[in-house]
Amino acid sequence: MFASIVRRLIQALFVIVAMTIIVFIGVNVIGNPVDILINPDANQAERARLIAHLGLDKPLWDQYFVFVTGVLHGNFGNSFVYSRPALDVILERLPATIELAVSALVIAIVIGIPLGMYAGLRPRSPISRLIMTGSIFGFSLPTFWVGLMFILIFAVQLGWLPSNGRGQTAELFGVQWSFLTLDGLRHLLLPALNLALFKTSLVLRLTRAGVQEILPQEYIKFARAKGLREGRIVRVHVLKNLLIPVVTVIGVEFGSLIAFSVVTESIFAWPGVGKLIIDSIQMLDRPIVVAYLMMMVVLFVCLNFIVDVLYTLLDPRVRIGAEG
Amino acid sequence: MGISITRREFGRGSLILAAAASMPGLAKAKDTALTIGVAAPFTTLDPHEQSNSPNNATSRHIFDSLINRGGKAENNPQLATNWNNTDDTHWEFVLRKNVKFHDGSDFTAKDVVASLLRARDKPSQSFASYTRNIKQVTAKDPHTVVVETTVPDPMILNSLSRIRIISAKYAKADVSEFDSGKAAVGTGPFKYKSYMPGDRLVVTRNEDYFAGPAHWSLVTLRILPDNGARLANLLSGDADLIENLPAQGIDRVKGSSKFDIIRGQSTRLVFLGMDIERDKTPDITAKDGSPLDKNPLKDERVRRAMLMSINRKAIVDRVMEGNGTVAHQFVAEGYAGHSDDVEPVKYDPEQAKKLLDEAGWKDGFRLTLHGPSGRYVDDSQVLQAVGQFLARIGIETKVNVMPWAVYSEKYNDKLYGVYLASWGINTGEVSNPALALVAKRDSKAGTGRYNAGGVDDPRLNALIKEATRTLDEKKRTPLLEEVSEITFNNLYLLPMHYENVVMGAKKTIKYEPRGDKYTLAYEVKPA
Repeated sequence: MFASIVRRLIQALFVIVAMTIIVFIGVNVIGNPVDILINPDANQAERARLIAHLGLDKPLWDQYFVFVTGVLHGNFGNSFVYSRPALDVILERLPATIELAVSALVIAIVIGIPLGMYAGLRPRSPISRLIMTGSIFGFSLPTFWVGLMFILIFAVQLGWLPSNGRGQTAELFGVQWSFLTLDGLRHLLLPALNLALFKTSLVLRLTRAGVQEILPQEYIKFARAKGLREGRIVRVHVLKNLLIPVVTVIGVEFGSLIAFSVVTESIFAWPGVGKLIIDSIQMLDRPIVVAYLMMMVVLFVCLNFIVDVLYTLLDPRVRIGAEG
Repeated sequence: MGISITRREFGRGSLILAAAASMPGLAKAKDTALTIGVAAPFTTLDPHEQSNSPNNATSRHIFDSLINRGGKAENNPQLATNWNNTDDTHWEFVLRKNVKFHDGSDFTAKDVVASLLRARDKPSQSFASYTRNIKQVTAKDPHTVVVETTVPDPMILNSLSRIRIISAKYAKADVSEFDSGKAAVGTGPFKYKSYMPGDRLVVTRNEDYFAGPAHWSLVTLRILPDNGARLANLLSGDADLIENLPAQGIDRVKGSSKFDIIRGQSTRLVFLGMDIERDKTPDITAKDGSPLDKNPLKDERVRRAMLMSINRKAIVDRVMEGNGTVAHQFVAEGYAGHSDDVEPVKYDPEQAKKLLDEAGWKDGFRLTLHGPSGRYVDDSQVLQAVGQFLARIGIETKVNVMPWAVYSEKYNDKLYGVYLASWGINTGEVSNPALALVAKRDSKAGTGRYNAGGVDDPRLNALIKEATRTLDEKKRTPLLEEVSEITFNNLYLLPMHYENVVMGAKKTIKYEPRGDKYTLAYEVKPA
């Protein structure tokens, strides 16, 4: 297990190095951040001073070297736009995104697994058909459209829920959270549902497929023959076996929820990192882009690792690091 | 950031308080909340770090300047009550007395000295265009400040209107201290309450503001760059006023009994720039794609024909849904340097064809129009329309738009023959755009930074030079008028339109939009 962790860390390191090089070259190719940041009235000398201030007067490899040295000292550089440490700017926004992603994930699991199991256990019932048809909508309707419809119906027409923003927050562990206040929850509901829509359909369909695959298995038949109650068969034998693929997908999807929540965040003006990263790309704010992507790589590596650990808990046959 | 009170809750609380205030003997300024949906994100509360309109507009809520820049670019007293130039390079400002910072300390000359020098010496150098001529700032006595300039600078009052005055004790504070509110202590109409970068700034009324307390006791500036989100905020009643009402929302707002559209003309001029310098210019070929032996854009008749072929009235009315006003020169009537002798070019495609014919381009030619997308109001749609108008007089036009991050650097490097560009004329007079757009490019003198078309007219250069060192407005204005005449009677630039300020507001609110597009809560009034 230890060797496996080390191997993964080395892999992650390579990915990070490759990614930072690509971002450095990429941003450089798009354009010059100075042209975006500078006051149009500035003259040549003032422009040169700004370029030097941002450290952009050095050749690209030199800038990269300065960056790497900084990272080794825990400094990701100052954001060009916010003039503050890039990491601070990101960490300030991260709780909002995590809160949204976790809420969406919880909704997806709480709705997706029971409905999926129902549809799997009673495939012929009209309710199952309704569920399955509904899940097609969840898959195929674009997130931004559904988000706009949510706002139009619940905020503009009915006026039940606020149209966007984070609402009132309260502090826990030194971080501001929305889910701790009633107003915050009201603000959280629509964006979380919006983000959860696709994931719910995904979990639902995976669960249903899993149930149908497991039901004809020998051990289910044996359990039935043994005279176990149906509830116990479903809870222990079906659910547990079913969770392996579901956990894998949820684990990977959680990363993508955080990394790609940008559409929902934009529509609902949710002050998270997704919005930050898009703005930063448009403003060519390289330090933010690099620091964010590095965090995402680390996050995905960690998530994959957690998923592997969960496997061993769900299925004793799986051993982390086992060859072959 | 502490627990923030939302507008809804505040509204509830304010009802009770309002009821209390209406009782006799309890007369007190009323509690009223205002939420503004801001379209372009402000990035810091440090008023000297990064100069751009969202930041400078936001800092005006908390801080004041010596000079108060009015909505039509006039210089009014703010922290300075009056001023005069003792000689060509020395300006004396008499400061307002009995003004206090939000923390209760007195405002004196040393705060002014510290602020102006901080803005000048910050490593980011973002305010350099306003501070570059400031040689020294000295406090003559606690209520008099002398600003010495390196050269006679007629724009110094405008420059000083951009520099916010902070308390001298925070002169060494960094960006984080301003953003956290510790150093965000000004003399302005509102006090810092909370700030979440990229999300919102919440400020409360400064009851002791020298010009009288604001109408609003709690103001929230919400950053909502997404058009849909901003519009939804207004329609759902969360915001009272939003900037840049999106075109798709205009009908909804117009048809509603609850909302109003507020329109005003800005000083942002959108124009077509073109290469009038080189004999061979990129992207212009004969219709069969073969290279041309000369550059048609050098001929004034060709440029006139192009402008004549474009129905600009139709563009601002239809394509931009009324979000623009046809322009004929740098500034509209009422601003310094506007000349009645600039001849407006009217839409006349027949005449345009004749002119092309006369210039020897009967068969037309082929060109590529370059422009940004999402930078100016409806920029790519405007370019498409221009392309179709040009095609009607025989100039086969391809339109190429790109993101601002890509375009911003390239258009200025003379890579394009014809390009869409714009200049926000925040000084409200002609020397500022002329210096950047049509003065001969000279990196040492800092002139012609955005003169990508290579305009080089000796008379124009002389006039601009003279105007930038003439202090007497009476002598200066005729110079600027002539600059406008030369630029636009020769069509060195093809003027398209001024962008309009279009805002959506609840009917309960009154606001007079400013030429510089700033949205200032202090100037928002109840209807």
